[in-house]
Amino acid sequence: MNNSTGNAAGPGHAAGRTAWAIAGGHIPLRSTGREPEHTSRDELCLLNTGAEDAEVEVTLFYSDRDPVGPYRLRVSARRVRRVRVNDLINPEAPPLDQDYGAIVTSNVPIVLQFERKDTSGSENGILTTLGLPL
Amino acid sequence: MTDAFSNWSGSLRFTPATHARPANEAQLQQLVRDAGAEGRTVRVHGAGHSSTPLVQTADILVSMKAFKGVVRQEGDILTVRSGMMLKEANQTFLEHGLALENLGDVDLQALAGAIGTGTHGTGRNLRILSNHLVGGRLVNGQGEIVEFTLETDPELTLAARVALGALGIFTEYRLQLVPAFQLHRQEWCTHIEDCMAHLDALIANHRNFDFYWYPRSDEAKLRTLNPPGEEPTDLPYAWCQKAKTGWSGDVIPRGRDNKFDEIEYWLPIENGPACFAEVRERIKAVHRKTVGWRVLYRTVAGDEAFLSGAHGRDSATVSMHHNASLPHEAFFRDMEPILLRHGGRPHWGKKHYQNAEGLRPLYPQWERFQRIRRAMDPNGVFLNPHLHDLFEGPAGATP
Repeated sequence: MNNSTGNAAGPGHAAGRTAWAIAGGHIPLRSTGREPEHTSRDELCLLNTGAEDAEVEVTLFYSDRDPVGPYRLRVSARRVRRVRVNDLINPEAPPLDQDYGAIVTSNVPIVLQFERKDTSGSENGILTTLGLPL
Repeated sequence: MTDAFSNWSGSLRFTPATHARPANEAQLQQLVRDAGAEGRTVRVHGAGHSSTPLVQTADILVSMKAFKGVVRQEGDILTVRSGMMLKEANQTFLEHGLALENLGDVDLQALAGAIGTGTHGTGRNLRILSNHLVGGRLVNGQGEIVEFTLETDPELTLAARVALGALGIFTEYRLQLVPAFQLHRQEWCTHIEDCMAHLDALIANHRNFDFYWYPRSDEAKLRTLNPPGEEPTDLPYAWCQKAKTGWSGDVIPRGRDNKFDEIEYWLPIENGPACFAEVRERIKAVHRKTVGWRVLYRTVAGDEAFLSGAHGRDSATVSMHHNASLPHEAFFRDMEPILLRHGGRPHWGKKHYQNAEGLRPLYPQWERFQRIRRAMDPNGVFLNPHLHDLFEGPAGATP
């Protein structure tokens, strides 16, 4: 598996890495405001700049039980895709209000950004960070 | 040593003493006679899609896989052997220019299981799959062949349409089918509040309509199926995500590789919206931490089968799902009182926590069914502990 095309930038180049890590996952339990736009959530923001569809696998890690996964996602070539961790369902729904980490792997390089929207106390509150490239 | 049996979701596991595969009707009769003489219990399994212990037995588990094929066709009436899977049956019906009027959300079941548990699809004017049964041939609890039709024995037919395998083991089904037909299936996305605001029109205007509510986003997926070219106009409050046209057996069910457990109740159709509103509120308030699976809402036309969930009333059904790998019982037990409070009857093949005491008042023809059952199986050859609880009450209770 190719794990690095760090200098890719032009059309057709696959930017990013094939493995990423997130350590600080935690989906807030409560939400304020109309859903789904104001649902508290963790979100995976996936960017595939390459010419080939990305077959992505997400594995979730917890503090008190074995990892769960893989959750399989596809990101079409030269597209972005946002996926709410809240909405992952196969093989099982991730619990809300619980610490977790994630390893995200792909058959082609992608860029992974991680975003949390926390509306527990009000309708707006966003944290965004880049996943850790491996 | 017999292999352990597991149902589709994995929530039911047991090891029968014997796993029998009779090759013909005579062998099946002998098996039932011997079981009766030895005081043993016989249950038949199909695809194992039910998640209640209908087929569980420590004695004799029977597979009817050898009973395949068409016996005869008389116009739209097809007599088939009882061991087909539903998907296989749909293909066979199509080869004879025929189809079931409706199908469920999946076609993973055995034909016998779908009929025996009152499997349904959705559609305001469409009845349960069992309604196609207009006769058959079965081996009763004494090992005798009983052959009947709707004309010769309407009471037995209405009992046999949804019988949970308690009257006997079918070897043939006589099914009144409909000419094969195609449908245009569309899947739409919208907000649940828009869906509920237009619910009556959605139910009235489409041949088949149901919706899934996603508890972690408040979004809804609407599914409409109509004869190609006869679709109502677009839904301005929703966007069409997917569309497909094909034979009914190919487009009504959809593939499902994610295993789940499920509780589903049949409600008087007028109680559906209020019940769903309460279900939605309760899940969001209490269960959203662990529950991510969608809730399914469907409608079914009333029918006459004695133990049908839609007996005597047009119905809405509400079902909750949970990943098979996660504990479901606390969730389902907490939701069941809401479903009961709105006049619900449990789906026989899905999780519920009722027994004869609670069930008897829900079915106007309950005693008629029990009388027929006792006549067909006087020694309780087909009565496992679960069915005993359902029909007679907990062990030791007086019938």
